[in-house]
Amino acid sequence: MSGTRERVSDVHDLAPEAFEREVHSFEFWFQAVEGYLHGTTYGHRPDAAATPLTDSERDRLVTVLCNYCVGETAALEGASGLVAIAPNRMTKVFLATQAVDEGRHLEVLLHRLGELGVANPEAEIEKRASASILEFRRRLLALVGSKDWEAALFAQNVILEAMEFTVFQTHAQTADPITAQVLQGIVKDERRHIGFGENELGRRLRESPHRRARIGEVKRDLDALVIETFAETVRDIGIPASERPDLGRAYLAAVSRLGLGVS
Amino acid sequence: MADPLEKDGAGVDDEQPRQRFVLDEGDFNEVPAKYRRFYRHWRGAGDQLAPNEVICPVCKIVIRSTRELRPGDRVYCMACMTRLRVTRSPSGQLEGECEY
Ligand SMILES: [Fe+2]
Ligand SMILES: [Fe+2]
Ligand SMILES: [Zn+2]
Repeated sequence: MSGTRERVSDVHDLAPEAFEREVHSFEFWFQAVEGYLHGTTYGHRPDAAATPLTDSERDRLVTVLCNYCVGETAALEGASGLVAIAPNRMTKVFLATQAVDEGRHLEVLLHRLGELGVANPEAEIEKRASASILEFRRRLLALVGSKDWEAALFAQNVILEAMEFTVFQTHAQTADPITAQVLQGIVKDERRHIGFGENELGRRLRESPHRRARIGEVKRDLDALVIETFAETVRDIGIPASERPDLGRAYLAAVSRLGLGVS
Repeated sequence: MADPLEKDGAGVDDEQPRQRFVLDEGDFNEVPAKYRRFYRHWRGAGDQLAPNEVICPVCKIVIRSTRELRPGDRVYCMACMTRLRVTRSPSGQLEGECEY
């Protein structure tokens, strides 16, 4: 994929349509992920140091990863379902790349659980999944199932993605080196997903401002769950209370840019 | 980092000529190789934006151009696929504003 390096005079001179076509393509996706996944195995470099964890550290990490697996499963099911209701082919192709990303996220997290000695990750997830993230998944899939494109996209690519983006980024700062590399790789994928959600929703709301009320409704409906899920996760990661208000910032900034700030 | 190369008035009508910049390849690896020099990570406290750089408000990556940026310019963040319009904040700093 590396081949001859093509020179681009200034990427910002691209016409908006050419930019849209380029970044939503599988071609772009291939070359983007190749940059940071090349040479990794299950999301981390083979030589990443495995630092010893105490029993309680390991136990807490397993709980956190089990909940990440629920979130990633929801994202995988959500993105796949969104393909069917996406309004055009370019969007469908992008969502196919997102579904592949989410499948990879689930796989590397399951693999990490295995490396931590979890013999049956499925059973462990069943046992440790928090009620709030399970409920979020149920509501997200109901929105996808109801073919409500804007509402489902908001729940999936704005709420869930912003939550994962922030939590994984924060967790990677204190995690053991292997988990940190796995999370950093996921964050790089999630950048595309949050950007897609915000931009697509921004476009839809610009074209049809009346849809804003419906999105506001979904937001009010899901906000409490989002806050609860955030709170549970950060407690399990062990983030000090003083740093917690920062965690909702990416989500709040996105909803404010979309003009959805007031609940 | 971005190095001023020359003063150049290309593409500018009645304004001051814009500085041009040669973009080096950094360690940004989240976009195809041909686009990597247009982006870099923010290095945290102590980091500064050059006149050809703005931060993407969506994903916090630093966007770089071969030209000095000015309010009204359009830039793209390929890391999160966002189109931005450059604006000047009340504090005088250049910022990127999403253009959906
Ligand atoms: Fe994901
Ligand atoms: Fe995602
Ligand atoms: Zn961005």
